[in-house]
Amino acid sequence: MDEELLELQRQFESAQQAKSSIRLSERNVVELVQKLRQLNIIDFDLLHTVSGKEYITPEHLRIEIVSEIKKLGRVSLIDLADTIGVDLYHVEKQAQIVVADDSLLMLINGEIISDWYWNNVCEEINDRLQECSQIALAEIAAQLQVGSELLVTVLEPRLGTRIKGRLEGGQLYTPAYVARVNAMVRGAARGITVPMNLSALWGSLQLLLQEMDGASGVAVEGSFFQSMFNGLVKEGQVLGSVRAGVHWTPSVFAIAQKECVDSFFSQNSVVSYEALHKLGITQPIQFLQSRYPEGIPLVTLFVHPSTVEMLDAAVEDAIERGSWIDSLSVLPTSFVPQDANKMLSLCPSVQTALKANKALILGDSYVFSTGFVKDLYERMEKDLDTISFSGPSSTGLADDWHVTKVAKSGQETSGTPADFNDTSSESGSNKQAADRGSKKKKGKPNTNTKTGAVDNSSDNQESVPAKSKKNQKKGKVTSSSLGSDSKSNTKKDVDKIKEESLGIFSEDELCRRITELVPDFEEQGIDPETVLVPLASHLRPMLLNAWNERRKAALTDNGQKIKRVLDNLQKKLDESSLNMQLYEKGLDLFEDNPSTSGLLHRHLLRTTAAPMVDMLLSNMDMLNKLKNGLDVQDTDNPESISLSSGDRIALAKKFDGPLSAKAIAVVEALEGKRVEAYMTTLRALADECGLTVKKLDKKLERTLLHSYRKDLSAQVSAETDPVAILPKVVSLLYIQFYARALQAPGRTISVAISKLKDKLDDSAYKTLEEYHAATVTLLTLISASTGDEEDCTSDRTLSKKELLERLMPALKALVSRPSQ
Amino acid sequence: MRVSEPKKGTTLRFKTESCREIIILRFLSLGLELRTTMEGWDPTTKSTLTQIPLLTVKAGPRDGAAWTQRLKEEYKALIAYTSMNKSRDNDWFRISAANPEGTRWTGKCWYVHNLLKYEFDLQFDIPVTYPATAPELELPQLDGKTHKMYRGGKICLTVHFKPLWAKNSPRFGIAHALCLGLAPWLAAEIPILVDSGMIKHKDDAVSTSEA
Repeated sequence: MDEELLELQRQFESAQQAKSSIRLSERNVVELVQKLRQLNIIDFDLLHTVSGKEYITPEHLRIEIVSEIKKLGRVSLIDLADTIGVDLYHVEKQAQIVVADDSLLMLINGEIISDWYWNNVCEEINDRLQECSQIALAEIAAQLQVGSELLVTVLEPRLGTRIKGRLEGGQLYTPAYVARVNAMVRGAARGITVPMNLSALWGSLQLLLQEMDGASGVAVEGSFFQSMFNGLVKEGQVLGSVRAGVHWTPSVFAIAQKECVDSFFSQNSVVSYEALHKLGITQPIQFLQSRYPEGIPLVTLFVHPSTVEMLDAAVEDAIERGSWIDSLSVLPTSFVPQDANKMLSLCPSVQTALKANKALILGDSYVFSTGFVKDLYERMEKDLDTISFSGPSSTGLADDWHVTKVAKSGQETSGTPADFNDTSSESGSNKQAADRGSKKKKGKPNTNTKTGAVDNSSDNQESVPAKSKKNQKKGKVTSSSLGSDSKSNTKKDVDKIKEESLGIFSEDELCRRITELVPDFEEQGIDPETVLVPLASHLRPMLLNAWNERRKAALTDNGQKIKRVLDNLQKKLDESSLNMQLYEKGLDLFEDNPSTSGLLHRHLLRTTAAPMVDMLLSNMDMLNKLKNGLDVQDTDNPESISLSSGDRIALAKKFDGPLSAKAIAVVEALEGKRVEAYMTTLRALADECGLTVKKLDKKLERTLLHSYRKDLSAQVSAETDPVAILPKVVSLLYIQFYARALQAPGRTISVAISKLKDKLDDSAYKTLEEYHAATVTLLTLISASTGDEEDCTSDRTLSKKELLERLMPALKALVSRPSQ
Repeated sequence: MRVSEPKKGTTLRFKTESCREIIILRFLSLGLELRTTMEGWDPTTKSTLTQIPLLTVKAGPRDGAAWTQRLKEEYKALIAYTSMNKSRDNDWFRISAANPEGTRWTGKCWYVHNLLKYEFDLQFDIPVTYPATAPELELPQLDGKTHKMYRGGKICLTVHFKPLWAKNSPRFGIAHALCLGLAPWLAAEIPILVDSGMIKHKDDAVSTSEA
C-alpha cells in the first residue's frame, strides 16, 4: 500500500470525523438576539447596520471610527457612515465621543481631523512654500476645502516650526521672499527724494513684482509693503517722516527744502509763499514763522524786519520832504500792493505820521505827505473858480430832481434818463467807499467820511429852498428815510448821492488835472487807476466841500432873488393868462365863421400867447440857474425877451423829464391854431412848475373888461394914426356891444365890422364901413407904392390919408358917444 | 445498459441530444462545457459540484499503479467534498474503502426530514470500466421500498446524470457521483418514502422490527 494513499485515507477519515460547523439562518439569529435581549442576557446597546444584516456594539463602532481616522487623518462623518454602514446619527454620536476622548482630534464642519493630519498638511504647505516662496491662504484653503480662518488658527502655531515662513495679509511668504521684498521697499524708499504718496509707490512695486514673478506671481498687498516700510522707518534704515500713514516726506527732501528756503531768505531777506508752495511746503506761514520767529508774514510774502527798516527810512524821507513815494518802487519786485500796504502799516515812521495826520496812504502802496496833498488841493481849488459855474449848472439841477424822484419811488434802478454817470465813475466811487472802509478799520480819523456826510447833508439842504413846499416835503422824506434805513441801504443812498455829485467833479477830470499839476506822475509811468483815482477821490470830497460852500453862499444870496423872481413870474403869468382868457372869450363870437375864427385864433396865439410863453420859459431858466447857486444878473425886463420857436424848443429841452415834455407841448401848442389846446398845455406846465393859472370869473372879467375899455378909449382918443385907430375902435365897439375883448388882425376887421351891423345904427355903421374901405384902399396903395415920392399913387395915398384923417373925428365920436 | 432499461425511450432521445451537445462542446472550453451541460440541476448542487476538484488520471481498478494514482485523487476529491459539506453544515454521509484496493466502498448516508434523521447503509463497487462507467450506488435497506431503485437497492438516477458523467468521463470521481447522484436522490425520495410510511424513523423502525 502506498504511504501516500494511507495518509489520504487517514485524512479522509479525519475529515469525515471532524465536527461540522453549525449554521443558523438569519431569521433564526435575529430571533435569537431578540430572545437574548428579552432575557437580558444582552444588556448593552446594540446597533445594527444600514443593511440590517449586522449587529454592532457602540464600542466597536468607535473602534472602527478610530481606525478609519487613522487611515487618512481626516474623514467626513458622511463618508464614515457610508463605509462603516451605520446610520449617520449613531456615527455622529460616537464620533463626538471619540473626539472628546482624544485631544488630538477635532470635529469641524462634519469632519474629524486629526492633529497629525494638520502636521502633514503643514509640511506639504512648507514644501510648496519653499518652491513658490509665497502662497495665498485662500488658495490653500480652497485646496483643502476648509475655511481660511480655521486654516489660520491651525497654521499659526506651526509657523516657524513646520512652516518656515511668515504669514502676512492672508499670504504666506518665505523669509527669503520677505527679505527680497524688504530690500525692494528699502531701495524704493531710499530712492525717493520728493514727497510721495506711498500707496502709489506700492502700486509700482506690485507691478514690478508681478513682472518678476510672471503670471504665477500672487499680488502682494500694499499693507505688506506698508508694514515693512514702517519697520524700516522704525529701524532708521530710511529717513523721513510719514504723515497720515501714506504721505512720505524723505528727510533728504526736507533738508533740501529748508536749505533752499534758508539760502533764499538770507540772500533776499524776503521769500514769497508761492516759492514755498513750489518747494512743496503747504503751510508756508507756519513753516516760516517756526523757523524765523523774527520774520514778518505778509499777504503773499514773508520778510525780514530789515526790509521794513529800509522802507521806513525811505518813507520817512518822503514825508519830511513833503513829497510822495510809491513804496513798491523801494521794495523788491515780488511785492504786491497788499504786501506793501501791510509793510507800511508796520513802519514806525508811517504810523507816527498817520497819527500826526502828516501822511496819507493811498492805493495800498503810495504814501503821500499831507503837505503834498494840501499843496495839490490848494492849487486845484484855485481852478475851482474857473470851472464852477460854466458848464454843469443845469445838469446839477437835473440831478437834484432825479435824486428826489428816486428817493420818492424807492427805486434804485440805473439807466433812467438822468443817470448818465458812466461805469468808470461808478467804480471809482465804489473804490472810494472801499478805501474809506479800510481806513475806518485802522481807526484813523478820516476827513473823507466827514466830507461825505457834509456832502450828503448839504445836498439835502440845497434842495430845500430850491423847491416849492411840496418838494421840500419830499426832500425831508428822503433825508429821514436815509437816516432810518438799514445800513446797507443808507450806504447805497449815500453812494447814489455821491454819484450825483460826481457829475460835477468827475474823477477822470480830477485825474487829468492832477497829472497836469504834478507831471511827475506821468513821467514815472504810474498807473492812474492805482494812484490817481484814489488821490482824486481823496481830493474830490474836499473840493466838493469847498465848492458846496461856495454854492451855499451863493444860494443864500439867490434865495431872495428866487422868491422875487417866482412872485414876479406868478404875477405876470396871472396877468397875461387872464388877458389871454379874456381874448379867448372874444373869439367865441366868430365860432360860426371857421376861416375867420382860425385867423383870429392864430393871431391871438402870436400876439398874446407867444410873449407869455417866452416870459415863462426864460424865467424858469433863470430859476434853475439860481437854484444851482449860480449868480444870475438880474434881467430887469424879462418881458422884452422874445424868442424864436427854435429857441423855445431848445430851452424847453434843457429842462428835466416831465417838465421838459410839458414845456415842449406848450411850445408846440403855440405853433398850433387852437387857443384851447394852448391853454390846457399851459396849465399843465404851470402845475409842473408849481405856478397857478388863474381862472377867469365874472367879476374879474368885468373889472378887466372895464380897464381894457378904459385903456382902449384912452388909446383911441390919443390915437393919431388913421390906420391904427380902426382896430382899436372896432374892439372898443365890441366891448360896448358884446362885452367881449377882441384882438383882431387887419384881415378880419371887415368880418368884425359886419358883425357890428345889427348893433349900430345905420349912420354909425356907414361911417365905420366907409372908414374901413378907405383904410383898405390906403393900405393897398401903400403896399403897391414903389416909394417914389413923385408918383401919382403917392398923391392918391396922401389924399386918402387926408380923407381918413377927416373921418377920424367921426370914428372917435362913434366910440365916445355911447360911453358918454 | 441496466440503468436505461426501465425508460428506454427517454434515454434514446437523450442520446441524440447529448451527441449534438458533445459535437458542439468539442470546441468549447472545459468550464463552459460543464456549465452548459449542468442545466437541469438545482443551483446548490451545481455550485457544489463545481467546487469539487476534478480528477485527471484515467484508470480503472485493473490498471495497477495508475489506479493507485486515481485512488489518491479520489481521496483528495472526497476530502475536499467532505470538508466542504462540513463547513456548510451539510454533512450527510460517511464512507470508507472496504478493501485495500479501494474497489468496494461502504458507509452510511442520512437525510433529515421533519427534524428527524433517517440514516441508511450505503455501499457500492467500482466497476471495471471505471471511470467511463459510474459506480452504482446501493442503499440495501431501501431495496423494494421504492420504484426509483433497481434490484439490490441500486438507486435509479436521473436522465441527466449519465450523459453528464460520460461527458466528463475521466474527470468525475466518487465524490462527484455522490454529489450528483445520491444527494438529489435522497432529497427527492426520502420525504416521499417517509410520508408514505414506507420507511420509519429508526426509533419506530426498531419497534416495528421487533414487533
